[in-house]
Amino acid sequence: MSPIGLADILIVSPFIALFLASLIPVTVKVLRGNVEQPAVATLTQGLGGFLGACILLLTVFVLIGKRDSPTAFADVLVLDGLTLCVGLLSLLVGAGALLLMHDNPSTFGNQFSELVFLTMNAVLGMLVLVSAVDLLIVYIGLETMSLSLYMMIAISNEGKLSKEAALKYFVLGGLASAILLYGISFLFGTMGSTSLRALVEMTPQLVGTSKIFLFGMILVLVGFAFKVSLAPFHAWTPDVYEGAPTPHTGLMATAAKAVAFAAILRIVAANSLVESENLLDFLQWLAVGTMLVGNLAALMQRSLKRIVAYSSIAHSGYLMVGIIAAGVSDQMTYAASGVIYYLIGYSVMTLGMIGVICLFERNEDTVVTVESLAGLASRNPGSAICLTIFLLSLAGIPPSVGFFGKFYIFSSAIGEGLIWLALWGVLNSVIAAYYYLKPIVYMFMKEPEPGYDVAVLPSLTATRVAIGICLFCVIALGIIAGPVFKVIESAIL
Amino acid sequence: MILSAIVFLPFVFGIILWLWPSERALRPMALGFSLVEFILSLSLLGRFDKAAVGLQMVEKHPWIERIGVSYFLGIDGLSIWLVLLTTFLVPLMILGAWNSIEHRVKGFLVSIFLLQVAMLGTFLAMDAILFYLFWELSLVPMYFLIGIWGGARRIYATVKFFIFTMAGSVLMLLAIIYMMFLTEQAHGVMSASLLDFYRLDIPFVGGSMMSLQTLLFFAFALAFAIKVPVFPFHTWLPDAHVEAPTSGSVILAGVMLKMGTYGFLRWTLPLFPEAVEYWSWLFLLVGTIGIIYGAVIAMVQPDIKKLVAYSSVSHMGYVLIGLFAMNEAGLTGALYQMLNHGISTSALFFMVGMIYDRTHSREIAKYGGLAEVLPLFSIAFFIFTLSSIAVPMTNGFVGEFLILLGTFQAFPVFAYFALSGVVLGAVYMLWMYKKVFFGEKGPLVADEHHPLTDLSYREMAVLAPLVILVFYMGLLPGHFFSYSKASLDHLVKNKDRYELTYHDPDKTRSDR
Repeated sequence: MSPIGLADILIVSPFIALFLASLIPVTVKVLRGNVEQPAVATLTQGLGGFLGACILLLTVFVLIGKRDSPTAFADVLVLDGLTLCVGLLSLLVGAGALLLMHDNPSTFGNQFSELVFLTMNAVLGMLVLVSAVDLLIVYIGLETMSLSLYMMIAISNEGKLSKEAALKYFVLGGLASAILLYGISFLFGTMGSTSLRALVEMTPQLVGTSKIFLFGMILVLVGFAFKVSLAPFHAWTPDVYEGAPTPHTGLMATAAKAVAFAAILRIVAANSLVESENLLDFLQWLAVGTMLVGNLAALMQRSLKRIVAYSSIAHSGYLMVGIIAAGVSDQMTYAASGVIYYLIGYSVMTLGMIGVICLFERNEDTVVTVESLAGLASRNPGSAICLTIFLLSLAGIPPSVGFFGKFYIFSSAIGEGLIWLALWGVLNSVIAAYYYLKPIVYMFMKEPEPGYDVAVLPSLTATRVAIGICLFCVIALGIIAGPVFKVIESAIL
Repeated sequence: MILSAIVFLPFVFGIILWLWPSERALRPMALGFSLVEFILSLSLLGRFDKAAVGLQMVEKHPWIERIGVSYFLGIDGLSIWLVLLTTFLVPLMILGAWNSIEHRVKGFLVSIFLLQVAMLGTFLAMDAILFYLFWELSLVPMYFLIGIWGGARRIYATVKFFIFTMAGSVLMLLAIIYMMFLTEQAHGVMSASLLDFYRLDIPFVGGSMMSLQTLLFFAFALAFAIKVPVFPFHTWLPDAHVEAPTSGSVILAGVMLKMGTYGFLRWTLPLFPEAVEYWSWLFLLVGTIGIIYGAVIAMVQPDIKKLVAYSSVSHMGYVLIGLFAMNEAGLTGALYQMLNHGISTSALFFMVGMIYDRTHSREIAKYGGLAEVLPLFSIAFFIFTLSSIAVPMTNGFVGEFLILLGTFQAFPVFAYFALSGVVLGAVYMLWMYKKVFFGEKGPLVADEHHPLTDLSYREMAVLAPLVILVFYMGLLPGHFFSYSKASLDHLVKNKDRYELTYHDPDKTRSDR
């Protein structure tokens, strides 16, 4: 065990910077005698913190992280390509969510500084989670993220659903954490270590021989399955996503999911699934079940936020296909890069869709239903076209980022011979096309019924900026899918 | 660069129209743009080397290098006429929809240009992923064309169209990905290029569904069969046609259905020779059923447009049996029939649209005696009726004759049955013509308050090029064959081991 030195501090400097930046808004508020500063100032401080952390992360990676994936604090945090890609993603999504929070009626007001503080700490937890290579640090990262999210949801201006959502999320999240810890204890018992490196090395042999190890492994995966809402552990997702303020839904559906998947990628490493038919079967059925449950349930939804929730469940299923492909491959870079590309693509399109939903929220109780979009194209073509592009991308229509994400995931699955899994995936994307098309039908092909329509609110500049960036990414990342993929792959190699 | 220019110029036009501030100038601008595109595509004929077998005017740039996907366009005798058919029909569509599309004109024109990009890209793409991309992209503008400007049940029709087509094509995507891995095994480098796919030798076991080549063959064939549409996957077509606006039906029948048959010609037949030979009976069977079934159903339709739609199912059945006859006459006839169908069915849809604009009804029973009131209209309609039932001297005859000739050479049993379609086709078309144009004046025709007017100059301008082509293609088919002959001969001769190369690389380089 090496003593803690400057090198360790350097590696975690983006984390420290983010944490220090998160203190600025609350500190200023305290110094002003518990009076909110102008929301724009708070927003600027938050964005500055996120962007600063982004730049710092990139710099540190280029300076010391590029080749040898240095670890900090006695091998518990690592700075490698996965940390960089998903870390940057969660920082940028955090910044995007802040932009949405600034405008949303359920999140602005006299607790905005605290909200910014919590958001930044949630993202800090995500960074810890994604860079952790020790099971206990994984747990700490997960809890930092989750606790911040529970509170963020609870302090919404909306009175009823958000409280219910926060409590539900807290209770079930707590249960999931307990299951995760229980599983970690079994892994520790069989391996004698909580290090993920040890886990990755020992999994291929232990998973086939030791039942207790397999039990622990499955418990850990179940714990994560709660977090990324894989069926049958998904039941909390629609209620929480619907009850939470819309920008928080965006953060939970994208960044929180991305980092949890990154952690799963670290646990389910190359070759780990080859030895154990049981584990492989378990994960495959989990993936297929998740895709089916998410897509079939989404067919019956009316509220756009619930559609986002079920679509996010379905997308978790597609992502599991990529994870399984990584787990059975000898050389996981292709599948892992596919998963990361998919996470990036999924995050921009979902955040974009959430942003468009935010445009319609007059007050904190607004429920945007599919029917209320009727005739939007003639009243506000801009927002209708944006939402259409996000929906088509989510449905996987080329040349959007959603298509190439699916393409990479399914091609890695086929490359590993998991053809029936890829078959389930594409059949599900046909089912999904139906509910992604439904809002488009209402926006372009129906006339609004009186008193049953939404209007785009004026003067939501920050929201518009966020939507614009997402829109650009959805189109650009699709057209330059090749180079982007190459960058990701060379980063995580 | 010429092919890229042809594919993406409509996209640029679409953007310009979208950003154009005034509503008034949109239609003339769009017409001008589409004519520019047509003239540009005519220049292909001049550059095209008729004797060459390989791909011409090739453009190839790496796109996703990691998995061998490239931006790869090329043209040969199989695709040149389909490209020209697309660019030829678009100006007519815009002219035909001049007055019938009243609201959201801008969106309509932009959709048409986007659709043109997707269709041209499908015909010219020589990379599997690029092909799939254009193939799927064509769904989106068509979805809007039917869904926004369509009839009463438009939403049902458009969603059905989208889901059906997508369900077919996702399996093709899996097959494409699988074949990319096969190229990696066979050549060491992963590639999505069609030319590399052709070089694959995919194992085939007759009599087993689980043989690799059979599975890949059916994955591709299903996607194309739904698009064509082949019986029993045709049910989306009548719905889509009846609900679509006139120009939507025209482009759907004229070009989009050809994407399916072109897919068979370019992909399925050369890629899976053993499977094609083994399973050809199945496709000949469904093709023949399609011919007869489409004709019989067309006979009992009370709606003119639905009748024309079912006649499409019947005509596309001919194309299918011509393709799977796999001999020179059959393939030539099939390719020719694709063009014929693009001309005559489009024209019939145009004319149905014109009469609908006047009376707002398509019910055959409400018409009658139209020939007396609208002489010019009746003459034009009669010409296209003759073309549709393949009377000699019209284009339809050449195509159907060659297809039946080819089928007789290869599979006489199916040809006997397919032949009955010729008679049935004459029955339903002439029966409809009689009811609509002769006899007692129907309630719509006799209505004193709304006297019907004959063809306007604009409508004549739409129909005149089509009339000319009906006879030109019927009397001088040699001109058309001369462009596609080399490629088709090459396909027939090498059907067991088809390969394609670039033609004249020096010229290609100077093109860039």
